[in-house]
Amino acid sequence: MSVKAKLILGTAVLLGLIIMPPFLDAGWQNALNTMLIASLFALSFNLLAGQAGLLSFGHAAYFGIGAFAALHLMQAIEDGLPIATPLLPLAGALAGLIAGVCAGWFATMRSGVYFALVTLAIAELFHSFAPHLKNLFGGESGISGMRMPWAGFNFGTVLEVYYLTLAWVIVCTALLWAYTRTPFGRLTLALRDNEQRVLFMGYDAHIAKTVIFAVSAMFSGVAGALQAMSNETANYALFASHVSAQVVLYTYVGGATLFFGPVFGAVAFTLFAFLVSDLTRSWLFYQGLIFVLVMLYAPNGIGGAIAYHVRHWRELNWSRLAQPYGIALIGGMLVTAGVVFVTETVSILFGLEYENLRGNAEGGFPEFALLGGTWSPTSPITWALPASLLIGGIWLIRKAIKQINDTQDDNRELDDSVTDKEGVQA
Amino acid sequence: MEFLIISTLNGVIYGLLLFMVSAGLTLIFGMMGILNFAHASFYMLGAYLAYALSPIIGFWGGILVAPLLVGLFGMLTERYLLRRVHAHGHAHELLLTFGLALIIAEVVKLFFGDFPVAYQIPDDLRFAAFSVFGTDYPFYRVFIGTVAVAMFVVLWLLLSRTRVGIVVRAAERLPEIAEALGHNIPVVFMCVFGAGAALAGLAGAVAGAFYPTNPNMAAELGVIVFVVVVVGGLGSLKGSLLASLLIGLFSSFAVGIDLSLANLLGLIGLGDWARSVGGLLTTEVSSISGTIPFALMLLVLLVRPAGLMGERN
Amino acid sequence: MTTEQANEALTLKKVAKSFGALSVIQGVELSVKAGERHAVIGPNGAGKSTLFNLISGMFPLTAGQILLNGNRISGLTPHQINRAGLSRSFQITNIFHRMSVFENVRMGVLARHNTRFDLLRPISRMRAINDETAEILDTVGLAARADHLAGDLSYSEQRALEIGMTLSTGAEVILLDEPTAGMSREETAQAVELIRNVTEGKTLLMVEHDMSVVFSLCDYVSVLVYGSILATDTPEAISQNSAVQQAYLGEDAA
Repeated sequence: MSVKAKLILGTAVLLGLIIMPPFLDAGWQNALNTMLIASLFALSFNLLAGQAGLLSFGHAAYFGIGAFAALHLMQAIEDGLPIATPLLPLAGALAGLIAGVCAGWFATMRSGVYFALVTLAIAELFHSFAPHLKNLFGGESGISGMRMPWAGFNFGTVLEVYYLTLAWVIVCTALLWAYTRTPFGRLTLALRDNEQRVLFMGYDAHIAKTVIFAVSAMFSGVAGALQAMSNETANYALFASHVSAQVVLYTYVGGATLFFGPVFGAVAFTLFAFLVSDLTRSWLFYQGLIFVLVMLYAPNGIGGAIAYHVRHWRELNWSRLAQPYGIALIGGMLVTAGVVFVTETVSILFGLEYENLRGNAEGGFPEFALLGGTWSPTSPITWALPASLLIGGIWLIRKAIKQINDTQDDNRELDDSVTDKEGVQA
Repeated sequence: MEFLIISTLNGVIYGLLLFMVSAGLTLIFGMMGILNFAHASFYMLGAYLAYALSPIIGFWGGILVAPLLVGLFGMLTERYLLRRVHAHGHAHELLLTFGLALIIAEVVKLFFGDFPVAYQIPDDLRFAAFSVFGTDYPFYRVFIGTVAVAMFVVLWLLLSRTRVGIVVRAAERLPEIAEALGHNIPVVFMCVFGAGAALAGLAGAVAGAFYPTNPNMAAELGVIVFVVVVVGGLGSLKGSLLASLLIGLFSSFAVGIDLSLANLLGLIGLGDWARSVGGLLTTEVSSISGTIPFALMLLVLLVRPAGLMGERN
Repeated sequence: MTTEQANEALTLKKVAKSFGALSVIQGVELSVKAGERHAVIGPNGAGKSTLFNLISGMFPLTAGQILLNGNRISGLTPHQINRAGLSRSFQITNIFHRMSVFENVRMGVLARHNTRFDLLRPISRMRAINDETAEILDTVGLAARADHLAGDLSYSEQRALEIGMTLSTGAEVILLDEPTAGMSREETAQAVELIRNVTEGKTLLMVEHDMSVVFSLCDYVSVLVYGSILATDTPEAISQNSAVQQAYLGEDAA
């Protein structure tokens, strides 16, 4: 994609983010806010995981520390400290940076699985210690604060908080992007590729990795601070493995090899959670399923797959590919429908309400409502329908894949080896 | 005195339980280099499957069949999921097992709900094995310990005395050479993974009746099991046993120790000062007993990553 | 430091290395003068790569000292040794596969200019560095492939890149580990010319199996057998040395 096209796209997105929110309801504004924070968290995580190749399973630690730091500063401002409210995330940045230097120095003494385990242990230490430290982390209930007014702004509405978040996320994203253009940013990529060679070319790899860790933790701290600012509260649950897990999911589903890949993942999942979590209790299952499917079939993530197609826009034989892609799409929709049907059916049939229904019906298998229809568990249709959706969908997808492969073979080999001057592939 | 003996017994048995789960994990890591995030999920599956099967084939039936099913599931996982992502590197394998753990937890919640299920010891097993200072010690706890010990003995004999064991050990050291010598290494991997899963499943089936069986049990046990395999040494079965007992005993005793750093400082006259500072200094060991294993894991990882009995890389 | 010593770029004094009970290098004495081209040859398993690993800091010595320009480098980390002015290539190509050829070489140039941890300036604006990188690429004949991924290069192109990367840090003492391994006669001849050009005025220590390369390039040869130096002399003298011929029974001199 040409630089010009990227700029146009970026500007459009930016404009949309600035102009649209006043026309949305508070629920959507909140969702956008969450998406922005999740995106920043994922981008900072990917600096370490995708660019430096250091997979951290405990990044919640720095997110959480940033949140608590911001809240302490918030309380201080309430008590009269003359610092502007919009500067709150700086506390998160500082706390994240310091924590990152300390944790990173030790963690980067190890590599691979051991590194991951160290980061896990650090996060777990925070998670289990925090409830006991009342001064720092407010014990089990956490600490709360209130956004103080500044320069005529009250920061009382979701919209005002949103714009503050947006400003910070834009600045941080720009900084992270600029990072990749600096010598140290290139060093980061080299470390991922071949740490040994970096060492033999005169670089102190341990110090370099510590700095990378610290920078990543710093921006995670900002993300945490933004969340604390928005919720006006934080407790030790921020250190839970669930939080570390989420950022891993966002990043790898979106694509770790692309700069904006993690943003895709963060936005997609946050949107998904926002839209779907009210509709079904099984949305976490769908999330996990999507993650595993992406890991299996699109190892570079959804963003990576999109980037591949964009990069080879001209070379791909779109007229021949349109049909199998269309078939795959339909197949995908059928499979999705089938999976959702089965999952929701199971959820209902094994749920408490159904147990009551059965109790009332004296042990039979009464009908249940799903997706606008009523179904009987004993009727073969209830099972034949999802089965045929699944089988049909999978058959279509396989057929499409075969067609796509045939088309690829006939094509010129796509030259994936040419990069732009900076060796960047995004 | 009573506290000492009961805590020791409980600690040893809890440690043996940890060993049942971590044995498979450490074997799998040693052989395939995969840290299976979903291992504790196999434990959970074992418990839930035993619970689901016991009304149909009885309690003992459940304990026998559940591990087999979990083992089968493990083999399928290795064959169809792990092998696919193997080409993309260790990070992807880790991530896949991670995602698998998430899915299994959600599927369990789907079928069995968010709350603990009533998987219990049958009445005829609820008797005391013996008495200690007037308190009855439950037979079932002893049973759990016995199963774990039996498992260790069987494993050890299998690995060191049989042909299968030799092939497995060869595959762990130098898989390519073993394959070049004609052994079907992919099948070995699949079976080892399945066996590891089955062991965790057995642990779940047996222990799930005693400890609460809920969708969170994988997450709770999972982290401790990681601590065990790291401290024992990734890949070392003996190390795993040692570390399990260590951590089991520690957890058991720590819960009863109401001492803190302030008490320690009190020995040199700084007790009052420590108490006035509060915070960490007055935190009792009993309340942070859950934290110390992580501190231990961190220490081991940084100072001696090979653990107690692992090999230096 | 005597005048003679001051002339020595690289000195090995009683260098020994054991891995547990296995002694791989025993009491090696070697000195390479500044500007000299020196080859290390020997039968397989003699310990040549281990020697390189010791000099470049990959393994610690069991005994002895290594001096670079009179200063002790044994015991330093690989990156410290590189900064002191010694750079090595690898027998098995050790490049940054997922980065462009240009970037591979630029990593070394950045190190030479001491802009390692620059977090603030955009790299595209660094004229001097980018120009120097282009120059090196030109010298090793990879200018046309500058924007390709290093992993996609042919084998001999990767070997050329390997040499380029070794040079890029600006070290005065270059260690080349079997630079012509796996090359055809033509490729070898080109590589020899390349090596001759780029090590002009520098000190070169290389491990080689191909005697024709040694003859065309090197001033001195040391023969390493079972972890100790059998003889050090000019290539002609070594090829006449009967002890060397005996040790090399079965080894064919090209």
